[in-house]
Amino acid sequence: MTINMRRKKIRITPGKALMFLFFAWFILACLVLPNLNLLKTVFFADGNFSTEPIRKLLKSKRAMKALRNSFILAPTLSITVGFVGITLVLLTEYFDIKGANILRLGYMTTLIYGGITLVSGYKFIYGSSGFLTKLLVQVFPNMNASWFQGYGAVLFVMTFSCTSNHMIFLRNAMRSVDFQTVEAARNMGAGQFYILRRVVLPVLLPSLFAVTILTFITGLSAMSAPMLVGGTEFQTINPMIKTFADTVSSKDLAALLSLVLGFATMLLLFIMTQIEKRGHYMSVSKVKTKIVKQKITNPVLNVLAHVYAYVLFVIYVLPVVLIVLFSFTDSKSIGTRTLTLSSFTLENYKYLLQSLSNYRPFVVSIVYSALAAVIVGVIVVVACRYIQKHKKARSASVLEYSLMIPWLLPTTMIALGLMMAFNVRRPYMFNQVLTGTMVILLIGYVIIKLPFTMRMTKAAFFSLDDALEDASKNLGAGEMYTFRRVIFPVILPTVMAIAALNFNALISDYDMSAFLYHPLNPTLGVQIKSLTNDMNNPNGMALTFVYAVLMMIISAVVLYLVYGRGGRDNMKE
Amino acid sequence: MKKLLAILLGITMLFGMAVTGTAEAATGADVKGTGVPLTVYTNSGNSGRKEWLIERAKQDGFELAVLEEGAGAVQQRIIGEAANPIADVVYGLNAIIWNDLISRDLLVSYDAPSWAAEVSEGLNDPNGYYYAIVKQAIVLAYDKNQVSEEDAPTDWTDLWTNEKFFGKYEASGRLTAGTTRNVIAGILSRYSDPNGELGVSDEGWEAIAAYYQHGVPNEEGVDSYAQIANPNSPVLMCQMWSSGVIQYDEMYGTSTGVAKPEVGIPYAVEGIGIINGTKNMEEALRFVEWFGSAQIQGEWAEKFGTMPANEIAAEKADPFQRELCSIPAQNIDWALVAKNIDAWCEKITLEYLP
Repeated sequence: MTINMRRKKIRITPGKALMFLFFAWFILACLVLPNLNLLKTVFFADGNFSTEPIRKLLKSKRAMKALRNSFILAPTLSITVGFVGITLVLLTEYFDIKGANILRLGYMTTLIYGGITLVSGYKFIYGSSGFLTKLLVQVFPNMNASWFQGYGAVLFVMTFSCTSNHMIFLRNAMRSVDFQTVEAARNMGAGQFYILRRVVLPVLLPSLFAVTILTFITGLSAMSAPMLVGGTEFQTINPMIKTFADTVSSKDLAALLSLVLGFATMLLLFIMTQIEKRGHYMSVSKVKTKIVKQKITNPVLNVLAHVYAYVLFVIYVLPVVLIVLFSFTDSKSIGTRTLTLSSFTLENYKYLLQSLSNYRPFVVSIVYSALAAVIVGVIVVVACRYIQKHKKARSASVLEYSLMIPWLLPTTMIALGLMMAFNVRRPYMFNQVLTGTMVILLIGYVIIKLPFTMRMTKAAFFSLDDALEDASKNLGAGEMYTFRRVIFPVILPTVMAIAALNFNALISDYDMSAFLYHPLNPTLGVQIKSLTNDMNNPNGMALTFVYAVLMMIISAVVLYLVYGRGGRDNMKE
Repeated sequence: MKKLLAILLGITMLFGMAVTGTAEAATGADVKGTGVPLTVYTNSGNSGRKEWLIERAKQDGFELAVLEEGAGAVQQRIIGEAANPIADVVYGLNAIIWNDLISRDLLVSYDAPSWAAEVSEGLNDPNGYYYAIVKQAIVLAYDKNQVSEEDAPTDWTDLWTNEKFFGKYEASGRLTAGTTRNVIAGILSRYSDPNGELGVSDEGWEAIAAYYQHGVPNEEGVDSYAQIANPNSPVLMCQMWSSGVIQYDEMYGTSTGVAKPEVGIPYAVEGIGIINGTKNMEEALRFVEWFGSAQIQGEWAEKFGTMPANEIAAEKADPFQRELCSIPAQNIDWALVAKNIDAWCEKITLEYLP
């Protein structure tokens, strides 16, 4: 490494110096100091460090079991989601399956909804009074109606709900598989599955690494699924972290547990990065041609593949359909999971739309989310470009891991860290008090979206063909020009997709907004929470569903505008 | 001419002073705001409360920016902003949070507003940090259609001491929620013991352990009343706040009965306080005087179905509300609860939840 560094010295230009100053300031002022400040107040509450929280957690059977469950869930989920995710991409993009366009839409439904509503959707089908269960009980009267509970149920729900990233990033990667190489391999007599393994998979690997890390983290921090279908025997650690983070004096426990998860994530990240550095996974062709869908040659396998594809389709689509249907009923129907024509009502929609007639929260959230998505995108693209060019430099590693810091702490605590850091004049924030201003929430939004954006953007950079850049440079193009005209257009679809996902996640954010929003400008998430949590409106639960449907529509529109069109352009190229 | 003008001016000034003089002496809803902008934090701003308050206050000269959040978030915001407070006034919350804010020196003690004497005995803070505006009974509710009054529990303790209630009640694990915390406070404060762990005797911890052991865990995303109404669910009883009962009964077709323990029940007292460090003390005091008055609290109760702590305004409340809130208040040392509740909930989360 040292030899390498000596050989390839980083040349300092004024632009680079400025960039360096910005990142050094940003990392220290926004990521390191506020969080350190918070951890100090949390762990050194009365001036000296106490091992009490560690002792408390070790003593708690419940905490230990939940922690263990999280560590069981994360790796198994990575495998099941990886399997399903890869097959989804192959079925829709690589193999010739009848009705692939419809199938794809079905598989992409996870992009527009999630959390409690998603799991509720599954419960409407498989839960103790769910449709499938009722059907099964008629056939097998002796079966246990609450069969859909525990580890298996959690794994099932999460396997199908966590394939969103595969459907976006793995699909993007699939598009850069070169068809000529596939053809060449076939001409040389390679079998269909040999080609899949040796030609297609290697191209997918960088993205597969990235999405697997995300799946692992999702598994570690599982929340809604264990809470709704985990039963008492399979609870995970994140609901406990959330409870502690929301309690004034239990923040030490929240921080400690969260750090355990965070460091596990970092360890995985580190291992993956090492593997990534070792290999270069690109297709060998310099002139890429678009993939032509492959017919599965073995007729039995072909039929099986179709059956599998359509069964998955039904699994994916049913919960969405039920959520939409139940959004037209009341809380009672939802709570008792009974769907009757007589309970059909438009009242919820009327009530919510009337309450939201004050459109200000919409505007506030749209502006914040769009700004944050763009800022985060720019910061990360610049950072990734640096990391890509100086793969071996220590500064690149420092930069990369620094931007992952927000993965170490729960959102609530990052929000508190910002609040406590910037409610007094800090030299590192130019002596400006930020609490009570509009800026602080924007900073918060940018921060929580950094790690995800970083990880996915980096994967896009790493699957770039170095030959492109070399060619541009050989033709005499400058560094900026090469980046602007050659590299950026290639990664743009991925960058846009990430921005869209970030926008969709932020527009309904509650955890960060709750602490940092400006009194005169509540965000949509805050407004909705207030409506659905209304103690005096027993229909709050139904409103949650209406709101979920509303968000589905917004998300779908945003994805279509940004990604759908971007994706098409990409295909044309 | 000039002289005349001067005299006229003098008279006008005198008259003006006289008017201001009477305004200063005004009390209750007659107090007018001066238009100095106030920032108000609350957890009680939904169902159009926030909009109504801003509008109604404007009519009387107050310029309000109202931030509405869950009680816990309001508490944490005030704590987090301590070095540079944004809020001037905070209303709503509950005794536990009020006492926590007092212990952190985040509120100022102020002279009792004129309406403080009209508030039911024992609800105002004795040291003048907050005065009560709304009260909310925290009850153990059951459905009279499914459980007869004779078969119903008479106190929380019945749930884990009488086998016939085992597995029939919901024991909420939502420990950050105000209602749950009041229930816990109501149970654990009975076993107060200065030498016990976290101020509670072993017997108390056994009681809370049994409460969770024999209860049905709450289900995220499903109302407790939905569980009671659901024939497939064994749950017949749950914790409840009084102002929600009427609407829940309407929606779920239940007929709520409540346990009336001899020791009384916890009340979540919504109050009004002034933030330590406010730059608009005068206006804040005027707002408190105005908002807590029998007139405004009466309008509030009529509009939003609350139970005013102000006894004059209470006449405007719904009769069923009044009946629920006629159960005597349990004698709870709220300062002790405020000091320990986080640690209690932490212990419950770590050791007793199923």
